[in-house]
Amino acid sequence: MIMAQQHEPMYIQYFNDECRPLSFYLEKMNGYAASKKAFGMSQDDIINEVKKSNLRGRGGAGFPTGMKWGFIPKQSAKPKYLVCNADESEPGTFKDRDLMRYTPHLLIEGMLIAAFAVGAHHGYIYIRGEYTREAKLLQIAIDEAYAKGYLGKNVQGSGFDFDLTVHRGAGAYICGEETGLLNSLEGKRGEPRVKPPFPAQAGAFGGPTVVNNVETLTAVPYIINKGGEWFSALGKVEKSGGTRIICVSGHVNKPGLYEINAGSMTVRQIIDLAGGVLGGKKLKAVIPGGSSAPVLTADEIDVIYDIEPLMKVGTMMGSAAMMVVSEDYCMVKLIQRITKFYAHESCGQCTPCREGCKWMEDVLERILHGKGREQDLNLLLDITDNIAGKTLCALGDAAAGPVASFVKKFKPEFEAYIRGEKHG
Amino acid sequence: MAKCTIDGREVEFVAGTNLIEVAAKAGIEIPYFCYHPGLSIVAQCRMCAVEIEKMPKLQTACSTPATEGMVVKTRSDRVRQNQKSVMEFLLINHPLDCPICDKSGECDLQDQSFKYGDPYMRYTEERRTYLDLDMGPVIKKNMNRCIHCTRCIRFGTEVAGIHEMVAVQRGSNTEITTVDGRPLETDYAGNYSDVCPTGSLTLKDFRFRKRAWFLKKTPTVCEGCSRGCNMEIHQDANVIYRCLPRTNMEVNKYWLCDEGRFNYHYVNQEDRIVLPTLQAGESYQPTDWNQAIDQAKAVFNGKKLAILVGTDLTNEEAIQLQTFLPKQFGNAPVFHFGTPGIASTQDDAPADQILKRKSRTSNLNGFEKLGFKGFESLPAGIEAVLVIRGGRAEIPKFAAGVKVVGLGVFHTAENPGFEVVLPGTSFAEKDGTIVNFEGREQKLKRSINPRGQCKQLPEILMMWMNRGMSAGVAS
Repeated sequence: MIMAQQHEPMYIQYFNDECRPLSFYLEKMNGYAASKKAFGMSQDDIINEVKKSNLRGRGGAGFPTGMKWGFIPKQSAKPKYLVCNADESEPGTFKDRDLMRYTPHLLIEGMLIAAFAVGAHHGYIYIRGEYTREAKLLQIAIDEAYAKGYLGKNVQGSGFDFDLTVHRGAGAYICGEETGLLNSLEGKRGEPRVKPPFPAQAGAFGGPTVVNNVETLTAVPYIINKGGEWFSALGKVEKSGGTRIICVSGHVNKPGLYEINAGSMTVRQIIDLAGGVLGGKKLKAVIPGGSSAPVLTADEIDVIYDIEPLMKVGTMMGSAAMMVVSEDYCMVKLIQRITKFYAHESCGQCTPCREGCKWMEDVLERILHGKGREQDLNLLLDITDNIAGKTLCALGDAAAGPVASFVKKFKPEFEAYIRGEKHG
Repeated sequence: MAKCTIDGREVEFVAGTNLIEVAAKAGIEIPYFCYHPGLSIVAQCRMCAVEIEKMPKLQTACSTPATEGMVVKTRSDRVRQNQKSVMEFLLINHPLDCPICDKSGECDLQDQSFKYGDPYMRYTEERRTYLDLDMGPVIKKNMNRCIHCTRCIRFGTEVAGIHEMVAVQRGSNTEITTVDGRPLETDYAGNYSDVCPTGSLTLKDFRFRKRAWFLKKTPTVCEGCSRGCNMEIHQDANVIYRCLPRTNMEVNKYWLCDEGRFNYHYVNQEDRIVLPTLQAGESYQPTDWNQAIDQAKAVFNGKKLAILVGTDLTNEEAIQLQTFLPKQFGNAPVFHFGTPGIASTQDDAPADQILKRKSRTSNLNGFEKLGFKGFESLPAGIEAVLVIRGGRAEIPKFAAGVKVVGLGVFHTAENPGFEVVLPGTSFAEKDGTIVNFEGREQKLKRSINPRGQCKQLPEILMMWMNRGMSAGVAS
């Protein structure tokens, strides 16, 4: 946990155990002032403030949050729901864990405001099953909030009722996909749904539903307290407001969470911020946005680390999980392991993803074991083409993108295996 | 009517109809596996993906309703490439066991593989295999052939109303199975095989008995209850091999219950009495038609007679009997019978929430409309009974000493203790009309020739009349 320079960060200074209790939140973080203020605003004003803030979803897709809230119909026969996606399952991502561990009330207040803005009276925090400790801590914080009237009936005398439930997942990557999450929340098999209908039309239990990431929701109290323009100004590139918590892992000297103003640094600068490549070695590659992001070579890292600039170079910021690979690590091994993960986590609904991910895994494993063939690389690229964009949810793309980029950008390493010069 | 363009052709559609159906109406085939018009849409096989103008990605036709002015391409290079790749993905783990697979010849996967697949196989890894599971008496499961379309799961939950088929595991290991590996419970299990687009779920009843392409198909109506589900009889060389549902959205939609589906067995059953037969002690003695009729007349001679007519007969047969019976038997009382406790359509009601009705015969309504009275018990003093039935009406128990002659379809295993049996034809061996519970007239169609010396009812009646004088009947 190292603070970046520039503005006062929003989160990272609070990432220690003393900051967790409600008392700290109220005294030191201006706690529950934003929700009080929000109760005095109209729903449209809140949504407009969030739109102005240029807050974009922190879960991976980067969708503008205000716009998402705007999709929720004002009138609905079925109850509306707010769901916090705390599944944090993208490999390399570990920011939401600390947000929930150290600043649970920031999340609760963010959910309170979001729920008020869209007219939801029940919220769920769908938390990754492995986060047992965080689930307990969240429950403690929720109990505190109930006890002091920040949750439940007539919150803070506003007349607004809001209940909040922690729901633990059972350990599937696909339950981080919002419709897979909703199915799982409803007690069904964690499989993404056909869209439309989108969750805003028919989400949890058939009601209009907003699904937001933890970090997204924790930004909301700041936006209401300090204004959308203030938040937007934190961002240093267009259409991207606030700060970003970056999860740096892999071959760096100081892996961990780094908070920077959105779009204020390049990939190279962030690696430097994390102490440079481990052991002073040369950089080989960077996976910039979780394991589903196409890889960047060492020559491609002078790109601004934010949603749009990364998209322009053919990869993505995703959940801001940056994985750094040093010169002596085998890319074939790495992509085989990543692909194994996606093959294991594919829900199995869509033909291309169910069959294709495992096929890619098998081919990669064969290459790794010295049984690769010349045509395998084209075969792999073909399979990625046949998966990408052809499945219900983004898991297919998540599996295909990395394989295609690894094969294209690190072809000689694969060829060395195929020629028998290297063995796994 | 709203219009869209599919493959350059303007096509009219009813709002809300999906592209598969809209295209099909225009004679354009969009291939699919997981889609089924009677089940919810999951859009997961990805076979039906088509190109739609202004949409960057291919869209699944099953989950996309046609809209005014929509421009759809179902045969573009991109669409064909996707079909080819989906076929490849589906086949990499599918065993090439068509020669020994019962579905062969009527298999969606096989047909579409020919039409849309690539004959060249690039897959060299080991194929996925699963352990077998016994799913009870109706369905044989072969998971290795499964393409995970989940139609069976959806049929169970959405139509049969039972969540017994499930997907377990994940991704490439996904297995379609039953909850805890238990045998199937629904009495609609045969439909699991119908909806399966591969040879994963086949009927144990039909397995290995006949290749699909040898079967001759006759559209007819099930005689299992008063609903009259539309179905097809599949026969070869005068042997019925199976019955499958025929779509009729107003009667049975796409489905058939197991009782109706397997009802045909009695037609071919070995102990069916297919020769004119006299009782001799505990066993039955075949004879010829003349002797049998003479003996029947002798049995009735001078006795007070009642006549029971099964509501498993057709309207045409009922009308013939209405002419024949008074002529031959004077004012002997005539009753219809079929299901114990269901003496009239008033007593008939749904037997479940799907298709089955309480009346276990098909033409109760028809008989009632023709003025037949329901049987409850024999009037006092009756000494002999003529039982006429199609094969399914349940024969009442008569008091000891009452002599019975049977006309129609009977089995020795029923041990009816009849004096004489005049063998008639079953629902599969004759044409005719039946009226279902809601008054819908439907046609039975003859699919096989009568077995043995079984004769159609009019022929038997003619023989009876021509064989000497009518039997003297006590009034």
